[in-house]
Amino acid sequence: MSAAPGNFHEVQSPEHFQALLSEDLNRVSLINFWAPWAEPCKQMNEVVLELAKKYPQILVLQVEAETQSDISESFEVEAVPTFVILRGHTLLGRISGADAPALTEAIAIHVRGPSSINPQSHTDRAPAAAPASAPAESPEELNERLRKLMNQDKVVLFMKGSPDQPRCGFSRRIVDLLRSQGVEFSTFDILSDESVRQGLKVLNNWPTFPQLIINGEFVGGLDVVKEMVDNGELKELLA
Amino acid sequence: MPISAVDLENAIRAAMPVTHLEIEDTSNGCGENYSVFVVSQAFEGKNTLARHRFINEVLKNEIAQMHAFSQKTLTPAQWEAQIAKQTS
Repeated sequence: MSAAPGNFHEVQSPEHFQALLSEDLNRVSLINFWAPWAEPCKQMNEVVLELAKKYPQILVLQVEAETQSDISESFEVEAVPTFVILRGHTLLGRISGADAPALTEAIAIHVRGPSSINPQSHTDRAPAAAPASAPAESPEELNERLRKLMNQDKVVLFMKGSPDQPRCGFSRRIVDLLRSQGVEFSTFDILSDESVRQGLKVLNNWPTFPQLIINGEFVGGLDVVKEMVDNGELKELLA
Repeated sequence: MPISAVDLENAIRAAMPVTHLEIEDTSNGCGENYSVFVVSQAFEGKNTLARHRFINEVLKNEIAQMHAFSQKTLTPAQWEAQIAKQTS
């Protein structure tokens, strides 16, 4: 038997089987249930190997039906060879017996993807809109929202994460710094809202977070605020 | 290609008078994280944010290629005062 390509695996256990399948739930897989004592399997194994080489995008799992009885039972395999074709965990097709042309054709069809299959119905209606987390915002509306956020308190910190669970070293340090200076501030987690995150970078002409806002105006990031603590500017601003 | 401390120094010196300059590679020699300390007359009259924005603009291309960048800025007068305080 010639060398096996990377997408071809001899399954060692149900866990191994599951792990390989779960790697990519959009991937088509071909499972070959075989037995060493069944003569037709020898030929079909060669066919399967050729299919693995021809279609590197599919996963090919060789399952020795009797040693891997748990897997065979879960697929209700009663005879070998049996071929099961899946996309992720979804059953696409099943072929019993050493039918090389049928197997080859089935793989070719499923690999082409669902779009090549003739649909049973057509519709011109657009798919239902995804539940909107926020309605589409115009730039003006976004800026309006950003200004409101920046003015929600005298001191507002736009950071990654929350003060008690910062998601970045710089955000954590600025929180520690403000607390050590006895500054009261509210926060906004920019990881929770991508439009705020990108909008503030543009509005404040500052490429990174954290961003500290005092009296509705952008003051700076960690470095700037650190310096302002050292040179007294921060105290002046908060007076 | 990683940025070198020399690249940063050249860019800074080309853009402003430099009284004192320290550049530290904080990525252990990988050229990915830098910390700079710049003392320059150019900072006179600029508040902290304005100074930082100035440096960000001067080093825009270099910073874009780094993972992390931090800076500290002083005017010559502030630096003298800092040294005096430290040595007193």
